[in-house]
Parts: sequence; structure tokens; C-alpha cells
Amino acid sequence: MATTVLSMSGTSIKMLNYCLKNDVCVHGMKTGFTGASLRRLSMYLKHSCHKTKKESLCTAKVRSHGLPYLGQRFKGRQAEKDLNSPSTHPYTLVENHLNGITCRIKQDLKAIDHELLHVSEYYFDGQGKLFRPMLIMLMAKAANFHETQMDRLLASQEKIAMIAEMIHTASLMHDDVIDAADSRRGKPSINQVWGQRKAIIGGDFVMAMASIELARIRNEDVVSVVAQITEDLVRGEFMQLGSKEREEERFTHYLNKSFKKTASLLANSCKAVAILGQCDEGVAEVAFEYGKNIGISFQLIDDLLDFTSCDHVMGKPTAADLKLGLATAPVLFAAKKYPELNAMIMRRFTEEGDVETARQLVAKSDGVAETRELAQNHSREAVRQIHTLTNSKYTTALERVADMVLSRNK
Amino acid sequence: MQVRKTFIGISRLLSYIRVAHTQNARCFVSWNQPKTSDWKKAVSEAEKIVGYPTSFMSLRCLLSDELANVALQVRKLVGTKHPLLKTARGFLDNGKHSLQTRGLMILLISKAAGAKSENMENVDHSADEMVSGIYPSQRQLAEITEMINTANLVHRGVVNLDTLKDTDGSLKDMEFGNKIAVLSGDFLLTSASTGLAELRNTKVVELVSMAIGDMMSAEFTSLRDRNGQGVLPEGVTFSCWERQTFLQSGSLLSRGCRSAMELAGHNEQVQMAAEEFGKNIAYARQMNEDLLPFANLGVDPNGILSSAPVIRYAEVHGPQSIDTFSGHEKIIATIIRDNETIEWCKEKCRDYGRKAITALDSFEPSEAKSALVNIVQATTAFKPVKS
Repeated sequence: MATTVLSMSGTSIKMLNYCLKNDVCVHGMKTGFTGASLRRLSMYLKHSCHKTKKESLCTAKVRSHGLPYLGQRFKGRQAEKDLNSPSTHPYTLVENHLNGITCRIKQDLKAIDHELLHVSEYYFDGQGKLFRPMLIMLMAKAANFHETQMDRLLASQEKIAMIAEMIHTASLMHDDVIDAADSRRGKPSINQVWGQRKAIIGGDFVMAMASIELARIRNEDVVSVVAQITEDLVRGEFMQLGSKEREEERFTHYLNKSFKKTASLLANSCKAVAILGQCDEGVAEVAFEYGKNIGISFQLIDDLLDFTSCDHVMGKPTAADLKLGLATAPVLFAAKKYPELNAMIMRRFTEEGDVETARQLVAKSDGVAETRELAQNHSREAVRQIHTLTNSKYTTALERVADMVLSRNK
Repeated sequence: MQVRKTFIGISRLLSYIRVAHTQNARCFVSWNQPKTSDWKKAVSEAEKIVGYPTSFMSLRCLLSDELANVALQVRKLVGTKHPLLKTARGFLDNGKHSLQTRGLMILLISKAAGAKSENMENVDHSADEMVSGIYPSQRQLAEITEMINTANLVHRGVVNLDTLKDTDGSLKDMEFGNKIAVLSGDFLLTSASTGLAELRNTKVVELVSMAIGDMMSAEFTSLRDRNGQGVLPEGVTFSCWERQTFLQSGSLLSRGCRSAMELAGHNEQVQMAAEEFGKNIAYARQMNEDLLPFANLGVDPNGILSSAPVIRYAEVHGPQSIDTFSGHEKIIATIIRDNETIEWCKEKCRDYGRKAITALDSFEPSEAKSALVNIVQATTAFKPVKS
């Protein structure tokens, strides 16, 4: 889905945005769109809205030269839904399950030697946001309600949430060694305290414990889906090692890498809980797409915050990506306006003054705004996906998550 | 064969790594222990029985873009002292059987246990056919085991940056080497995970994951310091050595053997027997390796402080009996003088060998079973080593 959007020209994206924001029928717009843009847009809308078997709340058609479609209102969210009530607050809805999740994770980290216990439990201290478990549990509840009209969370689904958090933490432990980070979440990183060696091996240990719990769910499909996460995580890291020479490839490469490093965990975990909830393939796909879009949106905002935020808000140093030689969305967008950035991207900002120059150029350009717009598109796509499930307080909460992702500042 | 081409290409890349560069590399794993001719013979006979030389097993993953990338990166490490170089060289060293014997033993025990005749309800083999008496899933498992072992070695070669000495070279080189080591180890581990998922057997996933957890735990025990070097803690007992050995190598081999039985749908008894075999042969191998520096003074004595003879000696003669600060030669000399310790260790090794062979009693006599017995005997026979 997302790739279809991105292969469209900037004009088409702007047009889509305008329509979405203003509830306007595409047909009514008078602009200089080419037939090609309109055709692409209509195919995108048709494809996205009629993708699932269930009747979607949103349909849109486009009239263009010679296209046999008639214009129709694009239906947005229903007015009755109160999206700001506390009863649909994402974290509150799964509060009972989230409380004590870190304790339960610690029980699964079966370490006997006390140093290993310290290392493996280090990041399960309640300081994490638990965003991923929250999202996964919400999705599980939404899928369960869609399937059975019952408000419940299966033990196996809760396990998936725990496993996702463990995998995420293990990958952080490795990332900190690769990026030579000396602090995380306001305290010294594991490699800082125990050395690189034990940080890596400790991360492997946490990953192994997650695998044991995964196996104990006794569902081979779910094991395959979650194994895919670990494969994507590593491939994402490798993608970061290399860089594409051609500019057109860079953005796709960046999004692909973002999917693998961030979105894959959410997408596949959501898919896994849908499978465990005995949902059909269509629902599992919806869950996957939701997780994927939220993940990409999350990563885009993360990359954006790297440019706009300052040290004490984030808990980790900023302009970190540039310093690591990584060209993220704001930079890639800015490079369209300031081609001199391309050379800097190729040499991974290693020359004296590169980081500072790049930062300034990004600030001068629309890079940050364009990144935000793209994130908004992905959040909207996530919401569109959720609309295909039976309405419940959980689907509403998931919509709120899509907004929360956009409005976070750390 | 494409594997062969990639292998040759990459080994050429690394072929100009002189052993001299890596001699002082911070890596306590000894690669070049001399193997007896008995052992070599037993292993090469065994390879014929399982249908193909096992030295190419894990190389299939070398076909991937990622590892080709890694090979190029590793090239940049030439001239540095990062342990990854030594591991990579050992990994690609054609002909050294010591690398692949874990997989070999899993293949052998799979063949020895034979096909599953009764109780087929749990196992669907309609799609699989035995090749040389081994199911494809069991071969895959053997390969996964080797991948996991290699990944563990690679990750153990990660260097602590705060304890670098001047002789280790530049910080930047070590950092880079660490990065590559982490990524390639991760890649191998996830390849193992996806491979396990493909086996469609959650029991096997559980067993192998427990083995991985154990291998990682081995680095955090009281017998290892921060850099992975062996240490001799106060009040050490021989059971510490057994625990360490189990975590380090026994777990993977025993659970691997058991998983192979599970994949063929064998019953609990057969699984336990395979597990016993794997565990005891692992103990025997480690004991054999630990004894080598005491029989042949040319052998690399790294890691001697946590070796079986030293631990046994310290347990018997009290905590002050080994001066950990005196050189390796002195420690070796002290223990050799006390013949009892060495003899005790040899007898213990033979004991593990007997237990391993006993575990095989329930298996039908076959070529594969004899091969396993030969390997056990080669491990536990203490003849003079030809260097």
C-alpha cells in the first residue's frame, strides 16, 4: 500500500492529502492534474478501499477523462465516535495487562548466574514506554472482538506482546554496541557497564529466552511469522551498512530499511495475534498492514525528532543519525532542494563540518515538513485498515494510537 | 557447484591472512589442536556413511549477499588483531574436521536410529524421503547446529574496547571488527531461527533455543572473566567444570541429538538415549582437549585455568594450591608432577566414553552406530599424539 503511494508524484500525494483533509470529492477539484495522476490515484483508492472482503466505510471514485468512474464522497470518520474519551485511551484500555508485564518478562529470563540476571534484566526496569506491547494487545483485543464479539485477550496473545518487547530489547542491546552508544533511557548502556562482549552475548540470551516462550505457544505458523521479524531486523542492519548510489533508489531503500528495522516487529506481531485469535487471512492481513504503517510512521517521526528535538527530551543524543552517517527522510527530502547534500550522503557525513551543514540545510528546506506529511499518510492508511474491522473501543483506541505516533515528542 | 565457487572465491580473499597476524589475537579458543590419526580416520569414515563431506555444511549460507558483504568487510580487518579474522580463517579452512563434528554426530545418530516405523501419526514424512538413511529435516538440523556454534564463536570474539592494550592495535579497527562480528553472528543466528521455523516442530525450536540460551550463559559463569578468559575461582569443584562444559558444548550437542530423534518421531526413550549420548560425548571431547597441554607441551595452553586437570587439582589440594599468577608452564609442571590428577582425568574421560556407548545400546547395530562408537573410542583413547 505504502509503496503505491510513494511511487506517485508529489503532486498526487498533495492532492490525496487535500481530499482527505477536506472531505472533498476528487472529482470536484480543478487543477492541472494529468490524466495519469488521476488514474493512479483512482487505482490506489480503489485498491485500498476494496481490498478487504468486508464492506469498507470509505469508497472513492474518480472521474477523469475517459475513466468510467463517478465521483463519490470520501467518507471520513463517523462523527459520533468520541476519539478523545478516556475510555478509549490506548494505554488505559490494556492497563491491567501492561502492569506487571515487565515482571512476567523477567520471570521468563531464566538466568541462574547473577551477572547474567543483571544484564538481561537491565532494560526491563519499567522505564520503557511499552509502546509495542500496548499496541499488540490492543490489536489482539480488536481482532478477537471482530471475530467473536467477545472482549478478551488470550494468554498466547499476551505472550506475543512480551516476546515482541524482548526481541526489541535484545536488538537494542546489539544496536548500542554497533552504534557505540554510551547511554540509553537515561542510564549507561550495557556495553558501557559490562563491556561490548557481554552486551552482545546478553542480547543473544534474551533473544533465546524469547524463542523458548514462542515455541511454547505450540503454533508453527506463529513461530514462522515471528522468526521473520528477527530475519528482517538483521537484514535491516545490513542494509544500513551499504548505501545506494542512485538518488531514486535511495528513498525506496530507506523505507525498506525502516520497514525491516522498525515496522516488521509491529506488523508481524499484529499478524501473529490475529492468527492466534483464529481470524481468517483477511483479518491477519489487515493487522499486518496496520502494524506496518504504524511502524513506518513511528520511524519517520523518530527520524524527524532527531532533527527537531534536543538532548534532554529524547534521553539520547540528537543529530545522532547524521553522526552515524545515516541519511534519513528529512535529509533525503532536503537533498531534492539542495543537491549538495548528495555528495555528503555518499560519503556518509564523514568530512569536517558535514553534520552541521547538513543540519542547517535540512532546517532551511521543507525536509521536516515533508517527512511529517509522509508520516501522516501512513497513519491515515493505518486508520483506513482498522476501519475494516468491527467497530469497538479497541479499534477506536488503535485509531488514537495512529495519532499518538504523530504527536509524540520523544 | 555454486557453494564450491563461493567458497573458493572467499577463501582466496582471506588466503593471504598469515597465521602470524592472528597469533596474538585475543581469542582463547584453540583451533589448531593436533588430532590423533585415529580421530581423523574415524571422522572421515563417518563422513562417507552420512553421504557427503560435512566441511561444506554451513557454507551454504555464504551464498547470501549479506555474508558476501561481510567477507569484503572482513578483508579490511587484515593486519589488525581482531579475533574475527582467526575465526573466519578457521571457518573456511578446508579439511579441518574439528569444525563440523557436531553436525556429523547428529547425522550419524539420525542414521543409527533409523526410520520411524510405528507411530507415524505425529510425523508426516510423505513429502520427505531419506537420503542415505537420513531425513532432510535432520540434515537441516545438523546444519543449523553448526551455524549456531559458529555464531557463538563469532560473538565470543567481540572485543571489549575499554581493555585494549597498545599491542592490540587501533581502537577504530577493533570497533569496526566488532561491528562486523556482531552483524555476521546475528545473521547466522537468525538464519538458524528461520531454519528452525521451517522444520515446523515447536518442540525442536524449544530445545534448540534452550541450547542457545545455555551457550550464552556459559560466558557469565564464575569460570569466565569479562574477556572470556578462563579463571579459577575460590572453592571451585569439579561439578563446576561439568556445568561449564554442559553449558558451553554439551547442551547444543545433547539437545541437537534429541531434536533429531524428535524430527523422525521417535519415542521418549530413544530421545533420552540420544540426549545421553550427546551429553557424554561432549564431556569426553572437552576433557580430551583439556588434557592436551599436559601431554604435549607444544599445544596452546590458553584457557588452562578453567581446564579439568587444574580444577580437579585445586579441588583436591585446596584453593591455594594453584598460583594463578605464575605462568602456564609452572602450572602445567605442578600438575604433571602430581600424576594422580592426570590419571583421574583420563579415567573420567573413559567413563564418559563408556556412558556414551551405553546410551547407544538400544540402537540396532549398523554402520552408523559403529562409526559413532569409533569416534567415542578415538576421543577416549590416550595414545601419544603425533604433532
